[in-house]
Amino acid sequence: MGAPRSRSPRPKGRRVRLAAVPASAVRAALGRLARSHMQGSARRTGIMTDVHRRFLQLLMTHGVLEERDVKRMQKHCYKVHDRNATIDKLEDFINNINSVLESLYIEIKRGVTEDDGRPIYALVNLATTSVSKMAMDFAENELDLFRKALELIIDSESGFASSTNILNLVDQLKGKKMKKKEAEQVLQKFVQNKWLIEKEGEFTLHGRAILEMEQYIREMYPDAAKICNICHSLLIQGQSCETCGIRMHLPCVAKYFRSNAEPRCPHCNDYWPHELPEVFDPEKEREPGISKSNKKSLRSRRH
Amino acid sequence: MLQKPRNRGRSSGHAERVRDASQGGDPGALQAGGDSRAPRDCVAEEAPSTSRGPGGSQGARGSSPQGARRSLASPTVGPRTQKQLELKVSELVQFLLIKDQKKIPIKRADILKHVVGDYKDIFPDLLKLAAERLQYVFGYKLVELEPKSNTYILINTLEPVEEDAEVRGDQGTPTTGLLMIVLGLIFMKGNTIKETEVWDFLRRLGVYPTKKHLVFGDPKKLITEDFVRQRYLEYRRIPHTDPVDYEFQWGPRTNLETSKMKVLKFVAKVHNQDPKDWPAQYCEALADEENRARSQPSGPAPSS
Repeated sequence: MGAPRSRSPRPKGRRVRLAAVPASAVRAALGRLARSHMQGSARRTGIMTDVHRRFLQLLMTHGVLEERDVKRMQKHCYKVHDRNATIDKLEDFINNINSVLESLYIEIKRGVTEDDGRPIYALVNLATTSVSKMAMDFAENELDLFRKALELIIDSESGFASSTNILNLVDQLKGKKMKKKEAEQVLQKFVQNKWLIEKEGEFTLHGRAILEMEQYIREMYPDAAKICNICHSLLIQGQSCETCGIRMHLPCVAKYFRSNAEPRCPHCNDYWPHELPEVFDPEKEREPGISKSNKKSLRSRRH
Repeated sequence: MLQKPRNRGRSSGHAERVRDASQGGDPGALQAGGDSRAPRDCVAEEAPSTSRGPGGSQGARGSSPQGARRSLASPTVGPRTQKQLELKVSELVQFLLIKDQKKIPIKRADILKHVVGDYKDIFPDLLKLAAERLQYVFGYKLVELEPKSNTYILINTLEPVEEDAEVRGDQGTPTTGLLMIVLGLIFMKGNTIKETEVWDFLRRLGVYPTKKHLVFGDPKKLITEDFVRQRYLEYRRIPHTDPVDYEFQWGPRTNLETSKMKVLKFVAKVHNQDPKDWPAQYCEALADEENRARSQPSGPAPSS
């Protein structure tokens, strides 16, 4: 499925309850924690080698990366540290790293771009349900600007918020006063850091932001956040049924209706009125397929 | 649904998070460490915490529900579960990683304020655990910039490789080139150099203090402010000079991330010569290598 796969952290086996209050008991727990890290890393979790470390470092540098670039990066890391080894299958390679990352409540998560179904990878925080990574990088008013943009995006029908509408909220921001000119630059910073995507003066969430913040968004905006009928993940951009209103991601639409000459809504069985995007094919180095979100073409059933 | 946000440390409300966010500068290019050496000085120089109880005056609220997999409930000051500790270490690790990307040394006070919060009493242990994770998982060594300075940086224990830049999709920061040139200048001139001499040299490369540069932007700001703030350079006024002049020396980060020998090799490469062609500097670099080898108890011989 072209759906983002989410993994919640499996709870650790031991749940030590510290009965005592003094620091010594806390120290003891920390000692256990340290030992469990050491043991865990050797025993049942994966092994980190320099190949994996370099891979992690590079992935962190990018923030988010497309699958074909991830594969290239994996090859590069092997080449640097372990020329003769057989390269692990990417999925196994990443699962190995994730088992080590588990104790840190972060993981390499695989998702899919909403517009054309390209698989992407990012390092995401499993524990915090807030904009934590951004919180460490941006000032209070900048974060609030992002939050305002986020809310507009989530509330919108198309998944896009216009620059004008976002900038009009500049007066309501927490923290230091921000002028519109400055806000424009901050929005560009978000684009550069791959939290937002800009298209013709409108902004939507980058795949990275969706990967990182899906949990947070679904908790904070349970009514406004849209869900895909097929993969049940958060939906920002997609197509919707005109009759019953259910929504689907473009890549989910592509896969669901793939060999179907007469696409019908999975929920109400009415004709699906939109142009069907193509399924993403990693073999073909191609331009993003037909993916006009919510393009309401009259009952066109072209594939 | 969301647990009630608490003061600093772990809180689930994003509002709390915002308040904790430090004043951001530019996020900058996300850059994994520069040239690296791996000195043995470890983080655990922290004075052991005093044995007061798990500080704070908040009443015990009961620990987070066992089933909670998501954000942490209020960080209880009393009993702390294993999971709470793990989460705290995780937060600390991520904080250090993100902060270090800007190449500005991380102050202990910031760490305490933004991450550690209620867990202040076990801070040294948390830091030690975080350092261990940083080393094992990411290949970064957490190092104190100078003894007793209470500021930290991350040193990449993986050697940077040229192809990394391709895979990264950019050239890293182009400013590194300029920094290397300045470091080279300083070393070749006997470890200290006047600012006027630096510009005399850079002018020949088309880099001027007063003119905007296509690649470096504002070279004067880069050299006299950014590199200094990142602790690659020291910039001091020379007393009793007229007109006022300043001098440059290597900063503490430079000594941690690279070495005299590495810089000499860089200079030699630029001139298409051999490091031994500068006997005085070569001797000095060798002596420096020996010093580093000696201060690493059981480390491998430094790769020269």
